[in-house]
Amino acid sequence: MMDMQQYIESGILEEYALGVLSADERTEVERVAQQEPAVARELVAIVSGLDAYAAAHAVAPPDALRERTLQAWENAIRETGPAVAPSAPVTVAAVATPAPRMAVAPAEPVTATAMPASDGGAVVRQMPAAASAGRTRWLVAASIALLLISGLGNYLLYNRLRKTESSLELAQAEQSRYAATQQAALNERDQQLAILRNQAFRSVELKGTPKAPDALARVYYNATTKAVYVDVRNLPELPEGKQYQLWALDNGQPVDAGMLNTATATGDSIQQMKNIASAQAFAMTVEDIGGKPAPTMSTLTVIGNI
Amino acid sequence: MSASSPDTVALETELLLVQRLRDRDEGAMTIFYDKYAAALYGVILRIVKKEETAEDVLQEAMVKIWHSFSSYDTGKGRLFTWVMNVSRNLAIDKIRSKQYRVGSRTQPLEDSSAAMRLAADTTFRPEHIGLQEMTRQLNPDQRQIVDLLYFGGFTQSEVAEELNLPLGTVKTRARAAIKVLSKLVR
Repeated sequence: MMDMQQYIESGILEEYALGVLSADERTEVERVAQQEPAVARELVAIVSGLDAYAAAHAVAPPDALRERTLQAWENAIRETGPAVAPSAPVTVAAVATPAPRMAVAPAEPVTATAMPASDGGAVVRQMPAAASAGRTRWLVAASIALLLISGLGNYLLYNRLRKTESSLELAQAEQSRYAATQQAALNERDQQLAILRNQAFRSVELKGTPKAPDALARVYYNATTKAVYVDVRNLPELPEGKQYQLWALDNGQPVDAGMLNTATATGDSIQQMKNIASAQAFAMTVEDIGGKPAPTMSTLTVIGNI
Repeated sequence: MSASSPDTVALETELLLVQRLRDRDEGAMTIFYDKYAAALYGVILRIVKKEETAEDVLQEAMVKIWHSFSSYDTGKGRLFTWVMNVSRNLAIDKIRSKQYRVGSRTQPLEDSSAAMRLAADTTFRPEHIGLQEMTRQLNPDQRQIVDLLYFGGFTQSEVAEELNLPLGTVKTRARAAIKVLSKLVR
């Protein structure tokens, strides 16, 4: 288990997701992920993170691009991939008499030159047929043509139906996803509200020091469960590479209560901090990212007594 | 997260699309476009910068996705990941080709605010966390490295050289940045 943790921390999964590994290395990562659920979970999380980052850059292409792109794609696959379609007109051409079928002429010479050489009999028998037989063949040809057209029509309609069904399905999926996102956000707000309303929590105002007179934050402390939450009203913007660190002061001794993440420091959300056994006051200082074991007193920004 | 059932629906829809593409159903490509074009176009544009080039690359990507679809393995990841990687690689190849080399290689960095503006007025995509929200969670150093790696096609060693940083630092920052992104979607 330990070496898997090391494997995860080596950074190779990130490299895999970024696509900078060689083919052999990729295969190896896939092999490990298949055998180790912990690695697989981590890999999925990393890939999803990058996918979301990519998706966040989405830009709706100009409307006209849709038609152009799909058309260009269709042209490209017609050029390169051999289509199945051409075989149908050839069948029609073979049955019909040559004269009224000018449209399919390009296909004719091949049949005309190839046939007499190898299997001349079949062609000769057809050519001098009586006028009535010619009309019958005409009717047969017309029927086949109609049948093909009708079949094509059905196929197109069926395709359109399938497309509509799929679009509907996609729309429904998007909608339920949206509902779930909203529900999750609502649940989070409910939880935060429950904290604020809970009688066991005491609210502690942390006021700005002379260094930052406008700064204001609030700590919610539950002496029974030892839980600490922080809610920022206004804090000065941080210099690069710095983070706010919350301290609990217990009998004059500062105890680390955790680092404020960016969303908390900008007042966007309430954050649960480290549990604190006992405190008479809370304070915040500006520290290097990740925090310090002891506060840098010169950067004390807000402080307040319980 | 209580989102397991809609995710299942989305996965089913995706598998359905995969099946149709595998069956060489050309109608599926329209659905594919409607579902993925904005994401692919956004990333391609972020990489190549010019709208006309982005359009060309998107078309190339669609053709490539169609032709090499048999090499997509559902067991190895989502369709989104695969098509994004195909498109991203094409776009990166494009900027590495001669014409594009003329410009500075570090251009992606300076242009990040422009990309942000572009991304801001896209159609509303509730299933995605917004770019602003994501970038706010990354510190500038982390964002720079992720962008060079993901949009610039740089290897970690190239990033180290470009930014004049030890390789270890680049690796640590890249790892931390991706961790932040993963946490946001977990």
